[in-house]
Amino acid sequence: MAEFWASLPPALQDVLFALALIAPGLLAGALVLRGLRPLPLVGAMLRRFVWVNTLFVALIAVSVGLGVGLLAQERGLRQGSARAAEKFDLIVAAPGSEVTVMLASVYLQPSDMALVTGAQYAEIAGAEGVAFAAPIAFGDSYQGAPVVGTTVDFVSHLAGPLAEGRVFATAEEAVAGAYAPVDVGGSFTPAHGHGPGAEGGAHEGFAYAVTGRMAPTGSPWDRALLVPVEGVWAVHGLANGHAPDDSRIGPPFVPEMMPGTPAVLVHATELWGNYALKSRFTRNDLMAFFPGTVLAQLHGLMRDVRSAMSLMAVLTQVLVTLSVLIGLMIMVRLIARSLALLRAIGAPLRFVFAVVWAYSAALILSGAALGLALGWVAARGISAVVTARTDVLVTANLGWPEAHLVAGFISLTLFMALLPAWLAVRRPLLTDLRT
Amino acid sequence: MTAPALHVENLRVTSREGRVLLDVPLLTLDAGQSLALRGASGAGKSTLLHVLSGLVRPSAGRVIWGAQDIAALTEDARARFRRETLGLIFQDCHLFEELSALGNAGLASAFAPKADRAPIRSAAAQWLAALGLGQAGSRAVDSFSGGERQRIAVARALAGSPPVILADEPTAALDRANADALGADLVRLAAEGGRTLITVTHDAGLAARMGRQITIADGKIVEDSDG
Repeated sequence: MAEFWASLPPALQDVLFALALIAPGLLAGALVLRGLRPLPLVGAMLRRFVWVNTLFVALIAVSVGLGVGLLAQERGLRQGSARAAEKFDLIVAAPGSEVTVMLASVYLQPSDMALVTGAQYAEIAGAEGVAFAAPIAFGDSYQGAPVVGTTVDFVSHLAGPLAEGRVFATAEEAVAGAYAPVDVGGSFTPAHGHGPGAEGGAHEGFAYAVTGRMAPTGSPWDRALLVPVEGVWAVHGLANGHAPDDSRIGPPFVPEMMPGTPAVLVHATELWGNYALKSRFTRNDLMAFFPGTVLAQLHGLMRDVRSAMSLMAVLTQVLVTLSVLIGLMIMVRLIARSLALLRAIGAPLRFVFAVVWAYSAALILSGAALGLALGWVAARGISAVVTARTDVLVTANLGWPEAHLVAGFISLTLFMALLPAWLAVRRPLLTDLRT
Repeated sequence: MTAPALHVENLRVTSREGRVLLDVPLLTLDAGQSLALRGASGAGKSTLLHVLSGLVRPSAGRVIWGAQDIAALTEDARARFRRETLGLIFQDCHLFEELSALGNAGLASAFAPKADRAPIRSAAAQWLAALGLGQAGSRAVDSFSGGERQRIAVARALAGSPPVILADEPTAALDRANADALGADLVRLAAEGGRTLITVTHDAGLAARMGRQITIADGKIVEDSDG
């Protein structure tokens, strides 16, 4: 059975799991409502206490929305951070913390790092199976946007064809990220460093002219200003990686003239080649790693947090379910007189049972549907805030985990709604009729 | 359906504390008769009506409608008996405020067998028309006056074509003119259909229209007279 289940396509597994979750509730409903027509009366009861019912639906919706939003947001964050690292196949840097290098080079979180020397870079760039090796040099900024030195190959690899203009061709030109604060045709003078401590006048007299703009990548690079690595070296008064009379930009660099770079992005000609290159450059004086793997390890470390979030979402639903149950019992008291009238004029107990259950089901289903929508809106809203603050494009959409959560919630509460329905038909008829 | 005769014997209803609320050794009523139950508040007349309708199960005794002792029936069977045999009218109407007049009058169609639903709704419309509310069937009941609401309740009681009508102070909440008009309609409609009509009432005018009057005091029948 387990083998058969594992052999099914994931999408089919999700559909079947969702159906299995919701089936008990629907089955209970089918049995309760079989051959009966309680909806006109349910509609009347919903209208009778419209504000109480609305409040009840809203409470369910908020609770379901919290659970749904929490799950969708967590997944969105994970996927967004993974997507931002997608283009970074293999990074080679001086030995140190992989996480630090990854944060600096993929997510552009500035950090002091040892440099890869010119000789090391030449070895990396010249290794068999390397399509290109792009230095990534950071340390400057402009109006909060990181200014990163690199190569034309990297720009093309990162964002594909430019959305506007052309790629840089001299050490004084730049390409703006999709949302960087300089327009094509504009120019800027970088500040040394990042954030409030950045030295605005450190590179006075030097300006980059922006010649193009990248298409959005959904990563922090969208706010960056990409310049030739030679430009970064030059503004810091260093050799520019080439012979003195050589004004071209890009590799090959003269090892002795290359000041070094904090990280090198390596793109192999073949996918499998990355593994050989990682193995080759994992040694005493260099480290090579896949950012995707480091990210997966980080996500793995955060599994407890994810589990806690999932548990919180489920616990929230359990609490809501109990609240719904108690709420329904209270609501039944509100409609007790109407139910007593039905019983008095001869309605079968099964019909009265069906009215109460259908009334409960209407509240639960409305709340759950509204909760799904609310969760989606909340997740999108929070994603927008996270995206704005981190520049990592987080898109939280509703997926199967949320569908399973809501299906389970609906099924459980529909099943539990049998209890208030049962209690309703056991209420003292005459007492309720006189209420 | 032909109206069943009523035969009550050795009927006792006691409270949880053991106090006797109703003690009726014998009460009979021919099919198609009308009967007013009179007495002071708390005398036991409403309790008797509730026992006769199966809303209250007696502590002892038999309540036989036709050949059926409803005191021996289960709750669902008593509900079925009420559905098929009785039309109940309450003092304060008991209407679904969010339903129309027709929706209330035809309320039984909601739980009736499929084949009976259309006839019940049709009958409800006819009874509303007969009670002067033919043009107002689609109006929500909260827009009706007290007298009109009670007429809707009467139409609801009659919509299932029951052979027996039991009414608990149907005119108590109405002004004199409305009470007289409703009383007259109730008696007329019951008589026209050959229905048995039993009503609890403090209204001497309504009681006078009935074929027989019983007075109850302290749970016992103390007077039984023709109207």
